[in-house]
Amino acid sequence: MALSTFSFPSQMPSLLCPHWLGGADLHSHQHQYRLLKTRKRPCVCASLSEHGEYHSQRPPTPLLDTINYPIHMKNLSIKELKQLGDELRSDIIFHVSKTGGHLGSSLGVVELTVALHHVFNAPQDKILWDVGHQSYPHKILTGRRDKMPTLRQTNGLSGFTKRSESEYDSFGAGHSSTSISAALGMAVGRDLKGRKNNVIAVIGDGAMTAGQAYEAMNNAGYLDSDMIVILNDNKQVSLPTANLDGPIPPVGALSSALSRLQSSRPLRELREVAKGVTKQIGGSMHKLAAKVDEYARGMISGSGSTLFEELGLYYIGPVDGHNMDDLVTILKEVKSTKTTGPVFIHVVTEKGRGYPYAERAADKYHGVAKFDPSTGKQFKSRSKTQSYTNYFAEALISEAEVDKDIVAIHAAMGGGTGLNYFLRRFPTRCFDVGIAEQHAVTFAAGLACEGLKPFCAIYSSFLQRAYDQVVHDVDLQKLPVRFAMDRAGLVGADGPTHCGSFDVTYMACLPNMVVMTPSDEAELFHMVATAAAIDDRPSCFRYPRGNGVGVPLPAGNKGVPLEVGKGRILIEGERVALLGYGAAVQGCLAAASLLEEHSLKVTVADARFCKPLDHALIRSLARSHELLITVEEGSIGGFGSHVAQFMALDGLLDGKLKWRPLVLPDRYIDHGSPADQLAEAGLTPSHVAATVFNMLGQAREALEIMS
Amino acid sequence: MSFGVVPRSGNQTLHLWPNHVPATKIGGGGGGSWRVAQRRREGSWSAGLSSSSFRTRAAVEERGFVAAKGSFYELLGISEGGSYDEIKKAYKQLARKYHPDVSPPDRTEEYTRRFIEVQEAYETLSDPGRRALYDRDLARGLHLAFSTRKRFDEELEERSGWRNHWQDQIAELKRRSMNKDAGENLSWGARMRRQRAESSVE
Repeated sequence: MALSTFSFPSQMPSLLCPHWLGGADLHSHQHQYRLLKTRKRPCVCASLSEHGEYHSQRPPTPLLDTINYPIHMKNLSIKELKQLGDELRSDIIFHVSKTGGHLGSSLGVVELTVALHHVFNAPQDKILWDVGHQSYPHKILTGRRDKMPTLRQTNGLSGFTKRSESEYDSFGAGHSSTSISAALGMAVGRDLKGRKNNVIAVIGDGAMTAGQAYEAMNNAGYLDSDMIVILNDNKQVSLPTANLDGPIPPVGALSSALSRLQSSRPLRELREVAKGVTKQIGGSMHKLAAKVDEYARGMISGSGSTLFEELGLYYIGPVDGHNMDDLVTILKEVKSTKTTGPVFIHVVTEKGRGYPYAERAADKYHGVAKFDPSTGKQFKSRSKTQSYTNYFAEALISEAEVDKDIVAIHAAMGGGTGLNYFLRRFPTRCFDVGIAEQHAVTFAAGLACEGLKPFCAIYSSFLQRAYDQVVHDVDLQKLPVRFAMDRAGLVGADGPTHCGSFDVTYMACLPNMVVMTPSDEAELFHMVATAAAIDDRPSCFRYPRGNGVGVPLPAGNKGVPLEVGKGRILIEGERVALLGYGAAVQGCLAAASLLEEHSLKVTVADARFCKPLDHALIRSLARSHELLITVEEGSIGGFGSHVAQFMALDGLLDGKLKWRPLVLPDRYIDHGSPADQLAEAGLTPSHVAATVFNMLGQAREALEIMS
Repeated sequence: MSFGVVPRSGNQTLHLWPNHVPATKIGGGGGGSWRVAQRRREGSWSAGLSSSSFRTRAAVEERGFVAAKGSFYELLGISEGGSYDEIKKAYKQLARKYHPDVSPPDRTEEYTRRFIEVQEAYETLSDPGRRALYDRDLARGLHLAFSTRKRFDEELEERSGWRNHWQDQIAELKRRSMNKDAGENLSWGARMRRQRAESSVE
């Protein structure tokens, strides 16, 4: 009888109920559950209700309140550690709901963090978190719980690990796949200094797609220094874990190897037999038996674990990453074993575990804005304009509609670069290579050789990794690869690790590169069209994080190619010229209106191109004004330097012109709100206006503006 | 045409699609056009829910064979790229149709079976994670269509199996570490450890 098949998950009978009422809506059944739930308010404990809703008030956390540092965790039993894990989970959810941040990844490693701190003795034992975005539980357990409300804000906690923040953060992170390299360095340093601490690196399966992880593991296997690498495998292997319609099946061959690893049957039987045989043969045969065992393991676990074994690491796993018992046991065993060499522990976790909305979401709540814990709804601020990322995606789609050769490449950042929209529209023309920027650039170069028009959408700071590929593979050979560098300039809450301050400098010094930047979203559309049209040399354009300014978009979302090497004048004035590059032009316009209040009408120009420079524009500005100020949100060596070089060579500096460059200062700007960061950098409109007054000798007005 | 038949045993049924229809897009976009196996005209089974195919399948099942009915997508009558809304709509429609209460009295049993299958299809396809896994299996040609509940139990079994596996590995690690720094091992790490051991002995 079919109805007897009740080995279904427990939700089944409940789903049946409303249908007895004949066509009841699923919503009403959820409503029933809400009623049930309020009646069922349990005793005070930090556990979740089974119906998928979550607490609306922060539940009490008695055990977590007693833990300020890992040393307070040493005497806890496994049961108490589990309770601590649950309390930690709810703590993280409530903190992130107020500040925004990376939620899913932190929830997935709660048990792992608790186990690590229970077994090992930070800070003598070094624990390194790859990327660092999953370090929220680590921060809470290492004395920063009271500062969690300041997460990702000005002068508050960093969203990633940071050495200057705490001695428990062993290595700063933000970009991925650096942890094993750093851990190996720390292990070797420890050996050279004769110390005895443990070194543990925690890396995710997404970060494993980067080459540096293999470079490090290869070296670790060779050096054979004692260290532990923990692979936090949540089966995502693609960040941020989804396209618009749902999770993407994992990227690349690595994931199938990992999944084979996880799913291969432990052929215990075979090994038991082998062990039995060994016992019979006796102790003297143990070497032979060990060899048999090793081969058997190779055959049994498939080609997955032998990948790590071949690199020289001892593979242990897979291990259930949410089972506190297992984790503590394994870590204790490995810690107590002397002379292990490099050990690789494969831990399987679930991203977003413990928060039902995150578990169900396609992107597992990887990065969230402020949200309401009981409903999981994020508070997305309403804005009249969309982000530059979205505009870029739309521009690229409209270009690709008419030109069949346009393809897009990104490095595991489909959501962050907006190329998920492109993927949905052109599924065969969008390539996600995993966290492998170097490969992405050379891959694009290969595509360009075949006559395609590749658009490489890589964040400005992530492209740093691929610089040699840009120089050697693209620029040297003059291949027409287009680079769309998002997150240029200061980026706000992510901080200096994600800040794109150097791209003008490192791109504009390359001989064949066309370097341009839009000052608003309409310009962005035109520049995408321009880049699509430049087919004989590489080109790049940078755009900032944030939303557009609200200018009308070109018709049909299709830009018109600009004349290469021509800027434009926005406001005609006299005496003073502000030459802005990119988003800084908006700051110049604001400064111009500030100056207007003091009855000074200045010229504002948008350079558009850093390479090739608009010589005519610069000459005319230099000849008709007494003061020229260049403004850009980039480091020294960028636009301002190129203008200076040109003017010097052209003799424009030999006269009465006063020239000043405004660039990002020679230090890293900490995370904070964009406005705070700009103020810290000295590039706000007030700063620009004050500079003008100072140059004109009107110090009093300068002070007025600044206060 | 041969097929794998798993006799019903208690609560577990594993259906394997014998000569499976390749997992390509069914019909043109969402909605109901069914890809039907060639042999339908000959009266053997089809992959559709239309009444004639239903009759043939009923006949087939009367003969005591139990075989899979194709993929979840075919069952729900949507295309493979169907959105969540399409899945939900199809499910509700079919659930209402096949609910035991409203089934014609002579066909209660098969309607109920259908209902449960439809429910399972909906559960798998509406959960993005499980859907991704299912799609991947489909692409590989595995129609473990109605064995997801077996997989659920399998998973639990797997996890406990893991424990034995890593316990063995830890034992092996300990055994290995005994002779790791023996004289023949010339790796940098081994040399440093020996050096440290010697200096601590002094």
